Amino acid sequence: MRLSDIAIRIEDSVALATAPERLGGLGGGVAAILTEVAAALEGLAANGETALIDLRSLPMSPADREELLAVLGQGEVTATLDAQGVSTLRETAVAGLWWTLHRDQTGNVTAELLEVAWVPQILAAHPQDVALAAAELRRRIGARDPAAQAVAGST
Amino acid sequence: MKPADTVGETLRRHGVSRRGFVKFCTATVTAMALPPWLGAAMAAQLSGAPRPSVVYLSFQECTGCFESFIRSFSPTIESLIFDVISLDYDDTLMAAAGDAAESALSTAMKAHFGDYVLIVDGSIPTGASGACCTAGGRSAEATLREAAKGARVILAVGTCSSFGGIPFADPNPTNAWPVSAIVGDKPIINVSGCPPIPEVITGTLLQFVTTGRIPDLDEHLRPKAFFGNSIHDRCYRRPFFDAGKFAKTFDDEGARNGWCLYELGCKGPTTYNACATLKWNGGTSFPIESGHGCLGCSEPEFWDKGSFYEAQSTAKWGRAGESSRKPLAEFAGAAIAAGAVLGVASAGAGRLRQHKLEKE
Repeated sequence: MRLSDIAIRIEDSVALATAPERLGGLGGGVAAILTEVAAALEGLAANGETALIDLRSLPMSPADREELLAVLGQGEVTATLDAQGVSTLRETAVAGLWWTLHRDQTGNVTAELLEVAWVPQILAAHPQDVALAAAELRRRIGARDPAAQAVAGST
Repeated sequence: MKPADTVGETLRRHGVSRRGFVKFCTATVTAMALPPWLGAAMAAQLSGAPRPSVVYLSFQECTGCFESFIRSFSPTIESLIFDVISLDYDDTLMAAAGDAAESALSTAMKAHFGDYVLIVDGSIPTGASGACCTAGGRSAEATLREAAKGARVILAVGTCSSFGGIPFADPNPTNAWPVSAIVGDKPIINVSGCPPIPEVITGTLLQFVTTGRIPDLDEHLRPKAFFGNSIHDRCYRRPFFDAGKFAKTFDDEGARNGWCLYELGCKGPTTYNACATLKWNGGTSFPIESGHGCLGCSEPEFWDKGSFYEAQSTAKWGRAGESSRKPLAEFAGAAIAAGAVLGVASAGAGRLRQHKLEKE
């Protein structure tokens, strides 16, 4: 018997795209997400309210996911965060909508989010870290400045 | 060995940045099906939380639950053990053996009496005076009873420790029972599944560490964050069910098109778990996505309910209306009335009677 005699068909995500409830050319799940995103963007524009949507909690077929990616497109900004694994924060072609992919140190995806924000929250430095950094920078300046060291030594 | 430091201090010592920690917490809250914006709040809360001592006991089990536990992607088991908890006893992971291992257990229980988290996997066999499962010359039941005394909370990991699982299945030759049938005076969280999803185990543990409280539980003592929805409700094939499109065999056109597996016996409609959203192997897939129906492994007595391949509409699944908690209720009632040892015997007999009646 040859391999070609075995009745197996290799599937791809195209087959799963034939979900029965297509709404205006979009899968029902995709249409729902886009509607939620549109409302969140209106909220951001009107009063600065940010929003996060956890993509992995939504029952999406692989085809739905590809469709969502295609509809949202690629924007102008892509940021990389290297902390406990590499994360990619990509602005979509929809301004204010960021597609965030968090990976752990072994490259596994740990979270996938749609964030509606001016800039993703995690990119901003934390005030406590900034204060600590300022103090540390002062210490380093002092360590390199002989005059400051002399003052420190005499006190 | 007392873990006096907080999670935040430990993380800083290990060089984990604030952003790294926020990212870790975001991944964790999304794994817990909580709103992702809680990640930052969780980071703030967890940063100041003490690292709790954890004691992990394995009884009558196949180690599948533990294998699952150590394969958690988010959080990883390394980050959990080194940063969030202090795993003081686990006979599978620890290097110590024999007397040294037993000594580590008693030391951990004494040092953190009243505060440690006790994780149990496997059912507790009570037949043959406990001889079916012993370690260090002590029965599983005796070890569990002693360890439970000083536990703040017990996590019953896996369907065996939650509901008895396969050892509890008819005819239950070792007279096995779940943790909840042996321990009645401690908070118990059942993290069922055969095995449970790795991130459900670590997420439940992390949820407790973060809040210091027992999470909201369902009627089977399972955290609602993970067991609040049925597989069916969250299944990406649900639109096919609603449209009446079903695979009739595992290799027909419907199966190839990814249609609903309900008629092939999928137990998704009556099974509560997070498989359809968290998935397995780091979010790669889950049984239905791989073309096989759900077996209902996170539900009580799933092994005894009938064929995995009969559609639920045939009413052959679940012993037609029997309450799956009934044997446990009998056990608990008997145990309280007659003492632990007598309780085991009478409950076991009660269960056998019930099985006999069913067969008649």
